[in-house]
Amino acid sequence: MNAAAGQLAALGVAVTVPAIGAVLARVGPLAPVARIVGIVSGVVSALAALVLVAMWQAHDGSPTAWGDSLAGGSLVFIDGLTAMAVPYVALVFLAITVAAPRRTLDSESVPRLLAGSAGTIALMGTAHPVALVILWVVTALPTWSGTRSAQGGGPAARVYALAMAAATAFLAVGVVLLVRDPPWQPGSGPVGNVGGWLVAIAVMMRKGIVPFHSWYPALYSGGAFGAALAATMPHIAAATAIRLLVGHAGGVSAELVFLAQAALVTTAYAAALAVVQRDLRGLVGTLALSQSSLVLAGLAGTLPTELCGALAVWISSGLSLTGMGLVAWSIESRAGPVSLETLQGRAADAPTLSGFFLLFGLASLGVPGTLSFVADDLIVSGSLDDRLHAGLLVIAGTVFAGIAVLRGWVRVFGGPAPAHRPPHPILPRERLVFTSLMVVLLVLGLWPGPLVHSLEQIAGSLVAQRGSDTPLPAGNDHPHR
Amino acid sequence: MGLPALVGRPLDERTTTRLVGGGFASAFLAAVLALGLLLARHFNPTVVHLGTWFHVGHHAATIELVADALSIPYVCFSTGLCVLINAFAGKYLHREPGFTRFFVLLALFGTGMNLLVLAGSIDVLFAGWEFVGISSALLIGFFQDRATAAVAALRAFITYRICDAALLVAGVVMHSVSGSGDFERAFSGNWPHATCLLDPTVATVIALLLVFAALGKSGQVPFSGWLPRAMEGPTPSSAIFYGALSIHAGAYLLLRCEAILEAAPVAAWLLVAIGTGTALHASLVGSVQSDLKSMLAYASMTQAGIILAEIGLGLRVVPLIHVVSHAILRSLQILRSPSALHDRHELAAALGGNPTPASRSFVRLLPEPARAFLYRVALERGYEEMAVDRLVIQPVLAVLETAARMERGFVAWLAGQGQRRRGGARR
Repeated sequence: MNAAAGQLAALGVAVTVPAIGAVLARVGPLAPVARIVGIVSGVVSALAALVLVAMWQAHDGSPTAWGDSLAGGSLVFIDGLTAMAVPYVALVFLAITVAAPRRTLDSESVPRLLAGSAGTIALMGTAHPVALVILWVVTALPTWSGTRSAQGGGPAARVYALAMAAATAFLAVGVVLLVRDPPWQPGSGPVGNVGGWLVAIAVMMRKGIVPFHSWYPALYSGGAFGAALAATMPHIAAATAIRLLVGHAGGVSAELVFLAQAALVTTAYAAALAVVQRDLRGLVGTLALSQSSLVLAGLAGTLPTELCGALAVWISSGLSLTGMGLVAWSIESRAGPVSLETLQGRAADAPTLSGFFLLFGLASLGVPGTLSFVADDLIVSGSLDDRLHAGLLVIAGTVFAGIAVLRGWVRVFGGPAPAHRPPHPILPRERLVFTSLMVVLLVLGLWPGPLVHSLEQIAGSLVAQRGSDTPLPAGNDHPHR
Repeated sequence: MGLPALVGRPLDERTTTRLVGGGFASAFLAAVLALGLLLARHFNPTVVHLGTWFHVGHHAATIELVADALSIPYVCFSTGLCVLINAFAGKYLHREPGFTRFFVLLALFGTGMNLLVLAGSIDVLFAGWEFVGISSALLIGFFQDRATAAVAALRAFITYRICDAALLVAGVVMHSVSGSGDFERAFSGNWPHATCLLDPTVATVIALLLVFAALGKSGQVPFSGWLPRAMEGPTPSSAIFYGALSIHAGAYLLLRCEAILEAAPVAAWLLVAIGTGTALHASLVGSVQSDLKSMLAYASMTQAGIILAEIGLGLRVVPLIHVVSHAILRSLQILRSPSALHDRHELAAALGGNPTPASRSFVRLLPEPARAFLYRVALERGYEEMAVDRLVIQPVLAVLETAARMERGFVAWLAGQGQRRRGGARR
């Protein structure tokens, strides 16, 4: 088996195992043990993802393309972005499955989670425009369904459905126009440019960029916590922007620059909103919105430093906010909705969860020794070098986010505890997940060299593709087809 | 120590104190050895390149430490103090819930302080600065069951966070103009006679940012509100943070970058003005405090203000001596503060009378209305916090609350709920 075939096989396993697991957990004799099916599928998918990374690194780092191609985008496309995003997505979904409160993982919710995982991993491994549109629908449906079936989740599901339907419609029309009149080809007309702008608007909607961000807090406040984390942490819109917009022009495309500017505003605005949130879900939602926008904000950078920072934020903010969200979910599953309007004094009955909440919060803030320090250093340096106002907005965002995290921690865990409140010890599986995520963040923060080197390669290839007249996917141009 | 606690197997008290104490003692011995070597080299500085932490293109985060006439004596002093505080805290916090947490944070603080002091680049200095700030805020809120401690921790953290942003920007500007965060690219020559290599305008911008950062960490006006509240933390941490090391971190930063400050007279004079103003303010407010730890906090603030003014005036060795002597005296006073009444009674019994006669303040020379006015001002802490709250915090919060309210209303409208409805599904 050559390297390309091995990569395809590993990606295939990472996608199909959760998909099969979703079916098995829904119907048949394994439905009663849906949670176990979910965990096993998640573990196999994560292992396959790690094999994919190992094979990609052992290979010369050039992309692998396979299958049908449209507008330069292949059905299966494995490049540095795929190698980074697939294990990340698999890890996030596995963490959610293992740490989620047991009663929330039944034969209805586990299939949704696994289907979302399969769809998201598949999306990270394709550059085909039509496949991207289909996978947007595939990945949005489980979240919508999970939110709708949650008690009182109807309104949130409605807001989410509105946003996703509009986003997908814009993406579909934009892709049709892009394919009809590819802007990266000589002599292209305005049709392709309009397509590019429609794709940019679709990405803004899916990513929750201001002014299309309302579904984000709605999903976190009104839906199932797991569905919200699974929908927002993988950065589907950022991956789509890379596939469809990077390399659109002989420099940074105007759409991408606009997206980045709007994302920067979102980063600072959402972090500022996080400071005045009234409950824990709102806090996690707005922080997630702020941090995930930072990923998109860095993608329009013309310097490898900034792009590399954006990719590092992708991983660091995703893992730390997944951890923080899961801790918040753990607290909520024991104690009910947690208000931030007064001191709740939860440290007395949940001291370990208090520690993990703080650690994940700090790990999302650029504290030295964690991956976010590296990510923030790169993105701030890159953006200040590139565009001064961008760097200042990023710094404003980190200041507000820091204040919001510590305010949240103080309000949830600080203050006197009411008498006779039962203790809420951490469960072994929760401890396993939280410790593992924390160790990953610390190890990558203390020894970031190998990761940063890989990210630099990916960023370098993105910058190089911008300089050329070829679109990013370029699946036809590579020898592994 | 932290990982065993996270996996549910915290170390016992003795192991914890020995681990931290051993670490500090090793650092102290290494620092003394380095001091001996430095003396043998007639204080000729040595820059130690420990390698590059990570790099992308031209941007590199280097780990660079510097051993010179400023850093090595200071690290001897700081690690020695950490050894003493560790020994004191081991007894003082015996069987206290959160014993391990305290020592984890103390170790984090010690690491941060050493990084800050020995830093040869602004990247390393910033890392140390952050560790000092985080451990400080978390130790202020050490007694998590006290509402006042939780609120005080949050206030300190907010102040730090805002002022730290200035240091971050200063670092990035330094990277941008000199291509690196290494101090040797920004100034050359041996401390305290270094020469700034930066353009005067850039130097002024960086110096202003550094002054801003230092004001927050050293509890200077208008960022001083957190300092008296910081005494909510355990006595050993109050002693080492707000009597000795953390409060002087700002002074150390400015001493380290003295060449940049010297090239920026605007920033230097601003520092003199703020330092002097803070000293007067803290001296006045401290004189009406009714509890010992608050008095000591304001006394620390006064001395920190004077030290910063000295630095602004271009002095170098005098503020360094001032820092060390003040830190030793103040940390001793804070450590003894829980036993102050006992000490006072013993002293009075031994002397046969009041051991501390009433001070003769210049305020006695003022007319009665002026004294009453000053007394009122002092009781209100110079109206500083009130002004900051009314002019900055409340307007910002009002804007954010309005935005959040509008957001909730819009989401409710999208969801077809008409009016705002809080809460929702919980699963």
